[in-house]
Amino acid sequence: MLLILDIMTTAAILFVVAIGLLAIFGVLKIINFAHGAWLTIGAYCAVVTAQLGFNPWLALPLAFLVGGALGGLAELFIIRPLYRRPLDAILATWGLGIVIGQLITLGFGRDVQFTPNLLSGTVTVLGTDYSAYRLVALAAALVIGVAFAATMEGTRLGLSARAVIMNETLARGLGIDTARVRLITFMIGAGLAALAGVLLTPLTSVDPTMGVGWLIGAFMLVMVANGSLLALAIACLLFGAAQVLISTFVSPILGSIAIAILAALVLRVSPKGFARA
Amino acid sequence: MSTRLLFSVAVALAAGVTVAAAEEKPILIGVPVGLSGANSVVAPSVVQSSELAVEEINKAGGVLGRKLALEIADDGSGAAGAQKAFDSLIYAKKVDVLISMETSAARNAGLPAITKGRKPYVYTSFYEGKSCNKNMFVDAWVPEQQVPPVVDAFNKHKGAKTYFLIGSDYAFGRGMLSFARGYIEKTGGKVVGEEYLPMDGSDWTSIISKLKEAKPDALVTSTAGGAPNVTLTKQLRGAGVSLPFANLAVDEGTAKSMGKDAEGVYLSASYVTGIDSPENKAFLTAMKAKFGEALRTPNDLSVPQYEAIYLYKAAVEKAGGTDTAKVIEALPGVSFTGPRGVITMSKQHHAPLTMYLSQVQADGAVNVVGTFKNVDPGDQCPKLN
Amino acid sequence: MRNDAPALATAAPGRWRLSSAAPILVAALAAAALWVAPSVLDPFATNVLTRSMIYAVLAVTVDLLWGFMGALTFGQAAFFGIGAYAAAMLLGQYGGAPQWMAAALGLAVAVPAALGLAVGWLSFYHRSTALYASVVSLVVPIVVVQLIYSGGEWTGSSSGLVGFDVLPFEIEGYFRLAAIVMVAVTLAAWVFARSDAGRALVAVRDNDARCAYLGLDPKRLQVVMTTVLAGVAGLAGFVFANASGVVAPENAGFLFGTELVIWVALGGRGTLLGPVLGTIGIDYLGANLSGDLPFLWQLLLGATFVAVIILLPGGLAEIAKRAFAVLPSKGAEETAPRLVARPPKPIQVASEHPLLTVSGLAKSYGSLKVLENIDLAIRPGELVSLVGPNGAGKTTLMRCLSDGTEPISGAITVDGAPIAGLAPDRIVALGVGRKFQVASVFESLTVAECLLLARASQDGLSLVGQAGTLSLPQAALDVMRMTGLDRLLGTSVRLLSHGQKQALELSMVVALEPRIILLDEPTAGLTKAERTTIGTVLKTLTSDLGIAAVLVEHDLDFVREISSRIVVLHQGRLVLDGTVDEVVGSELVKTIYSGGGHD
Repeated sequence: MLLILDIMTTAAILFVVAIGLLAIFGVLKIINFAHGAWLTIGAYCAVVTAQLGFNPWLALPLAFLVGGALGGLAELFIIRPLYRRPLDAILATWGLGIVIGQLITLGFGRDVQFTPNLLSGTVTVLGTDYSAYRLVALAAALVIGVAFAATMEGTRLGLSARAVIMNETLARGLGIDTARVRLITFMIGAGLAALAGVLLTPLTSVDPTMGVGWLIGAFMLVMVANGSLLALAIACLLFGAAQVLISTFVSPILGSIAIAILAALVLRVSPKGFARA
Repeated sequence: MSTRLLFSVAVALAAGVTVAAAEEKPILIGVPVGLSGANSVVAPSVVQSSELAVEEINKAGGVLGRKLALEIADDGSGAAGAQKAFDSLIYAKKVDVLISMETSAARNAGLPAITKGRKPYVYTSFYEGKSCNKNMFVDAWVPEQQVPPVVDAFNKHKGAKTYFLIGSDYAFGRGMLSFARGYIEKTGGKVVGEEYLPMDGSDWTSIISKLKEAKPDALVTSTAGGAPNVTLTKQLRGAGVSLPFANLAVDEGTAKSMGKDAEGVYLSASYVTGIDSPENKAFLTAMKAKFGEALRTPNDLSVPQYEAIYLYKAAVEKAGGTDTAKVIEALPGVSFTGPRGVITMSKQHHAPLTMYLSQVQADGAVNVVGTFKNVDPGDQCPKLN
Repeated sequence: MRNDAPALATAAPGRWRLSSAAPILVAALAAAALWVAPSVLDPFATNVLTRSMIYAVLAVTVDLLWGFMGALTFGQAAFFGIGAYAAAMLLGQYGGAPQWMAAALGLAVAVPAALGLAVGWLSFYHRSTALYASVVSLVVPIVVVQLIYSGGEWTGSSSGLVGFDVLPFEIEGYFRLAAIVMVAVTLAAWVFARSDAGRALVAVRDNDARCAYLGLDPKRLQVVMTTVLAGVAGLAGFVFANASGVVAPENAGFLFGTELVIWVALGGRGTLLGPVLGTIGIDYLGANLSGDLPFLWQLLLGATFVAVIILLPGGLAEIAKRAFAVLPSKGAEETAPRLVARPPKPIQVASEHPLLTVSGLAKSYGSLKVLENIDLAIRPGELVSLVGPNGAGKTTLMRCLSDGTEPISGAITVDGAPIAGLAPDRIVALGVGRKFQVASVFESLTVAECLLLARASQDGLSLVGQAGTLSLPQAALDVMRMTGLDRLLGTSVRLLSHGQKQALELSMVVALEPRIILLDEPTAGLTKAERTTIGTVLKTLTSDLGIAAVLVEHDLDFVREISSRIVVLHQGRLVLDGTVDEVVGSELVKTIYSGGGHD
């Protein structure tokens, strides 16, 4: 039971962390290597919320807004000139991540920051004491996933985004303002990343480099998902399970690099990852 | 008349000599430290305590009449940066001695420069032990000094028989826990689990689940400073783990920044701010007076730095100068009574220390719950003897 | 072996020009200057620059892989680290006696090279993407560092290794060693990059599909480069381990890998000297500045990096180039090779034995059937036009004919040999040349270099020099002459007009001396005059040389003029196969083209 809960919640956390990256990659075909920096920005929003004495849950909307706004700036000035150079976009966003990390360091210091717990304690699930917050994270993953899917399927923006994914030239021909779709998508992706940063605070240390550790895992999952939300969910479940099982039965050290290695192998065998349809 | 003249000439001469000595260029102390990178959290406190030591010594007339001066260099908290910092201090700044805390990788990266550049080096960070170099002296703790107080206390007061060990996968983490395992087994306990996560790992889920299933009496961790300490503690608390829990690698400051999550955690150190001694009180007062609002809480890395500067002073005075060979010969045996108590450098280039077992309180304060006098580092470098 | 042309055409000696000697001259001067440098530099600068020069060697390898070949890699740090650790572990175990030093050197090169081979094999395969190679290059350092951490006493875990025996030099000696290695590696890279084989790297970067369809194996080139440059990185690691006396996990890490990329980008990718000078400059500056402004230095470096990537993709070298461009320089035409006609291959006799057969071919994407039940046989000398409305499956059919790795059912043979499972370059070797719908050429190369690559599968490429002559089959020369390309040999392809690019691609395909030539809308977007020229060329190729041609074409007038046979595809089926008159007169074709032929 413990094992199943571990797998489910690990997958959920991976999903929450990766979805912002997926949103951007899916529509823009750009890999945002500053994703880790946006996680960090989100977590520092939680720090600021606490310093101002607000309810810690308020950090969630705040991070989404701040992350989205900063994402908009990044899209306009850094991503937009690089759409035709996707590999260069990886590099530029990596550089942007360095810059953001150093700015946070200059502003807040290098120290680990204190954040209040969103929720503490354990609950009993079918006879097992389990971290209440991890279950919240599971719920959060479901809410974010469903909301994202609903946006893509049910709104005008989602329709435009899907048109851009399928055939950008055609979309432009149909009168869709593709530049605007990209801008808004990037803002949503960045906002989701910052949101994930807040959701991570009860689990991790908050410091200027906290995002880097999550970047590679999220990147690998998104590569395997190849831009599809459903495939991302599957990838998180399978790789999350692999990580937990390897950590439990073989070695946590091997478990921690399992996602990277498995993703590389899956992509070698099937270049479209889990998104074959 | 003639005697008075002679006397005044002598005074004049003496004055001239001291004036000359004071104008002699200062003794340069190089401090390579991680102003950027992971160690930048603790580095400012190390710089502050160095500044205080230098100021105090200079106020009291310097060393053999010469002033002390500091040269700080950033090592980026890593090996590559340390190579640059050590090179810069030894070859460009031409320091007389290097005194600093470093990660083990950075220390090792600096050692070739120490040897080639023929400079003494006082290493002021606790570490996994058994690093030996003719030019290097250590005034901080090693596992032999730090682990026994914790295990003894858990054995005696908590009736702990079974232990679970969790660490970061690096030299310090593995070194501490392998010593802990040996000591636990030697004192009749049993280790029911030993798990590691990479240094940059942040997901302790599986390890915590294993811990819960193993149901040990006590938990001993040795995770890398900074993030891993915090992530593990947060996730342990999230999972509702409330065993007797000793963290071999957490410092007072980090414990405070973790807030309520750190409550009840035991730590074993050679320095905590709550040490009740006149030297410590004087030191804390002087630090507060010098730095005021900007004061970084002194800790188990910054205080050894402070004392190391005094140890070096003693060695220079004993050697009669800053000549490296003579200073290295003089260092074993020199002694200083500082905030941590009496520190005497041993022939094996390490120092017996008084260790303090403390526990983090609900308000973040760290209370001393046990004192262990002059714990010996054991055989660290028998070949240097 | 595949070359049956007389030897005189192949062994064309490289031209000896002043510019060929320039790299060696510059290298000799640099080596001399660096040899005396330690006597004027202070020990600090000597030490820092020693390491900077070792890093510069790595920058050269990153530049060849990324700047020239287009594979963005973060993995060179891992190979460097492995080389350094291999040397340190061996020297720590056995001491620094000469035979062990030699063994350490060998191991430091061989182990990374072996891993490089594995990584290359994993990263580059038919249809692999540039992004995938970057993904793998990210995973490699992560895994390697984890291995180092888990290595316990063997690798020293996080503390690294220190205290192993090293070469008995003073710091000046290490400086000179690093300088020699750096100059030698840079010189070798420079000579290679300027050579004809070096141009193939750029060709792979520009258009690896075209490389494959010229009979070259781009993936093999990529794997070989990854292997060799992993070995070079290992060599740098060996020098590093000796010069610094210490190795640490971060030497192999992903962050160091990104730093290398940053240095190369700032210096100017694809210029070799830019990355070398960029690395030395930035690393040296960093050593001097980072102590005073620890966080600000990183901030400045990061911000500059972002700005350079966006605004100045050519890096600082771009600025230098622009400054020098003001100076007069010799025209490109001067450096282009001389055109020579090669003796023709024996003419294929038109026989009844088909050159290309397709039987029962079907292909589907998921549930969508694109081709169904196609049977076709094409004989030497035939000029077959494939017509049909958009979406009829014409281009898909062409792809199936030229790429055996396309999943299909049915069988395709070329001259009796089944092509199932063969990658495009292997099918080219069977004698199939393919011209794409959109001109597929190498934008960064000159016209002459493109044609040289077209001959490379048969004549080979020089690793060190540039061919003085370009020997092409008469047919290719004819195409060039008719289109005026023969006067543009030294011109960069990106300056050509649309029509000229089409003509160039056709010349390249013809230069392969194929027995079957597949052309996808060769006349799209061409002027009437250009169309006529192409038509004439095709007729000559088929009727005089006995080449079989398969042509996808929309222009029915053009088709009628040149074809010997017409095949009509409709909704994935072959609906008509006959002479020009039979097909043009058929009611079915009229119905299809008027859009009413759905049943």
